[in-house]
Amino acid sequence: MPSQNDSDVRFLMGNEAIGRGIIQAGCGVAAAYPGTPSSEVLQSLVRWKKELDHSIYLEWSINEKVAFEVAYGASLAGMRSVAVMKMVGLNVASDPFMSAAYLGVRGGLVVVVADDPGPHSSQTEQDSRFFSWFAKVPVLDPGTPAEALEMAVRAFEISEKYQVPVLLRPCLRVCHARQNVTLSKPAPIANVGPFEKNWTRWAAIPRFRLVLHGELNEKIEKMRLEEPESKPVPILNGSGNSIALVTSGSVSSHVRDVVASDDRLKDIDVFKVGMPFPSQADALQQIVDSHEKTLVIEETYPVLELQIMDRRKVEGRLSGAVPPQGELVPETVEDIILKSLGETPTEREAPKIKSRRPSLCAGCPHRPAFYMIKSIFDEAVYSGDIGCYTLGINMGAVDTCLCMGSSIGMAGGLARTPTASNGTQVVATIGDSTFFHSGVAALINAVHTGAPFVLVIMDNSVTAMTGGQPTPGNPYLADGSGGKPIDMERLIQGCGVDFLEVVDPYDHDAMKDALEHAKKHVFEDRNGVAVVITRRACIRAPNAEIPSQRFRIGDDCDLCMTCVKDLECPAIHYVKGERRMEIDEDLCAGCGFCVSICPSRAIELKGA
Amino acid sequence: MVEIILCGRGGQGIVFLTRQIGEIVAAKGLNVISSETHGMAVRGGSINSHLRIGGFFSPLIRQGHADFLLSLDPSETSNNRHYLKPGGLIVENSPEPPEPGIRRVNATGLARDIGRVQLENVILLGFASTQDGFPVTPQEIRAQIEKDRREQVRDMNLKAFQAGIVAAS
Repeated sequence: MPSQNDSDVRFLMGNEAIGRGIIQAGCGVAAAYPGTPSSEVLQSLVRWKKELDHSIYLEWSINEKVAFEVAYGASLAGMRSVAVMKMVGLNVASDPFMSAAYLGVRGGLVVVVADDPGPHSSQTEQDSRFFSWFAKVPVLDPGTPAEALEMAVRAFEISEKYQVPVLLRPCLRVCHARQNVTLSKPAPIANVGPFEKNWTRWAAIPRFRLVLHGELNEKIEKMRLEEPESKPVPILNGSGNSIALVTSGSVSSHVRDVVASDDRLKDIDVFKVGMPFPSQADALQQIVDSHEKTLVIEETYPVLELQIMDRRKVEGRLSGAVPPQGELVPETVEDIILKSLGETPTEREAPKIKSRRPSLCAGCPHRPAFYMIKSIFDEAVYSGDIGCYTLGINMGAVDTCLCMGSSIGMAGGLARTPTASNGTQVVATIGDSTFFHSGVAALINAVHTGAPFVLVIMDNSVTAMTGGQPTPGNPYLADGSGGKPIDMERLIQGCGVDFLEVVDPYDHDAMKDALEHAKKHVFEDRNGVAVVITRRACIRAPNAEIPSQRFRIGDDCDLCMTCVKDLECPAIHYVKGERRMEIDEDLCAGCGFCVSICPSRAIELKGA
Repeated sequence: MVEIILCGRGGQGIVFLTRQIGEIVAAKGLNVISSETHGMAVRGGSINSHLRIGGFFSPLIRQGHADFLLSLDPSETSNNRHYLKPGGLIVENSPEPPEPGIRRVNATGLARDIGRVQLENVILLGFASTQDGFPVTPQEIRAQIEKDRREQVRDMNLKAFQAGIVAAS
């Protein structure tokens, strides 16, 4: 976000534009859990709050379910409120989300859910528009950052008008696009008045739920007919009766540019739907009926396509014209359209791509932790989790990665198998933010059931992968104001864990001792779960302690490659032609762990 | 209408460059849209940004459409070359001599001389800004850098930017 200036045009990231829309709509409470590609929405709210001296309440909630519930509570108490998450976060929040659709809202309630077709940084390519259909919640699908701002404001209006939650679904190509965006003055914080007791609504038992379901159905039918976003709007006019193209969301922008840039495509009528659910099925059917052929291009599920009743003249995902998986990038869109029109496809040189794999940063405290886990538990099954430390796969120290918090729950199952009884050990790894998010309940389960595995909690004090958002372990909140830090040791002891040690992962000998003690506790002395916390701030965190010491590789190096293959340090590389190893001073963070693990003791302190 | 791909490794400051150019263009009242890489790839992986100036809606450049390819890492140039249109220009951070269609500057070396290797991105921008058809001028970029209120950051960036311009002359 640019620093303050007088102009009301800014070059904003889609997520910053959504944040601005939230502010402009007079929203008073925002709760989020970070996750790519959604994280910058709340981060931008922190900056808008500061820049505008705005009184909006902001929090990084412990997980998406809690974020939704906080926003929902604020809505019942009259405030416009928002919950922000990535699409797999909506899976976590799905229980209150589905129920809230029935109960309805008071102050406008918007759920921003960022989708990740590709997927680039996620476990699935799920389409949140489909989720919204499942929940009977309206969804707005922006095509650009500028439109995302407008739709954020509209989402609050629709929510308050019909008293339902509204989902705003930006895809990654909106979230992480930047565009010149025109700002308006923020509305004052909206408030429809204090909470009004009505247990038949806000605490409805099943008998009343049936009534509420009927009301929800009526609301959906009403907005389908009355809200302009439910109608397909022409965005490019062709000849009028040969080919129609119906699209929505971020892929509509690729469609628009591809069609507008090619003379062969000038006969196509392009229609865009702003609210893919509930959309005006009759209007879609009219388009289909009045054209020889209609192509539907949307991401990632056939949401609009399925709402067209007679699809005999329709091409899309259901007909196989649109690939069933993968991101629809402009090249794919161009290929789909040209093929459908029977035109010659664009010839493209196959790109010669040798992508560099991501890797834990040089100096990352997770690296020595994984190294020691591998060396102490050499035959174990490594139950991994979601965060930077998923990159432990590069070191062979992560075998599984299912979803947030699953390392602990899955370890409880991995430890109950014949392989485990035959001596295969189970070691689970999880970061502090993910542990707070959804690991705690699984740990209580493991303690109660006596599950025999070692749990290593890699506490780097931030949610590092998504940009270093503060975790509940910190004494401050999203906007920097004070918060009570949660003492992780007390929490773990409170879960009933009998073995707990805390170590600095840079300290080779202490790490070795702690892991060996934990191993003995679980696998020799036959106790339940043992927990080791490896604690050191992320090297990118504000409280990082980066040593100033630097190292060199001396003549004793026998090119065994332990530092490159097993430690996987990106700061060390082999110099071709000279048959020697070198430490890249630009990358080295001075952790010195390579000194401890080098088998020939060839790495020495510089200037020593 | 100008389309630019910027590429490099995570951590080299690709997003910063994209924003600098975009902010200048947006302040001039032109339409501009870009796309950048976030998430796991920024942990040292391959990353690129797309920047499109003109009446575009999509933030992505199609293969064979880019006017410029700015590369902070020679090994990433080949990963992005397919975006370049015939006759498009590559501007690369490399100590190698230039070739037809490729201008080169040893931005890493110059940044190290200044004392901060992280300045290589600003040096590349300075160098690129002198090329024919580049959408923002050295004067405009200098004015943009001068807006930074952090004195030390501003001075280092100006120094690096100037080094890039000098290297082009």
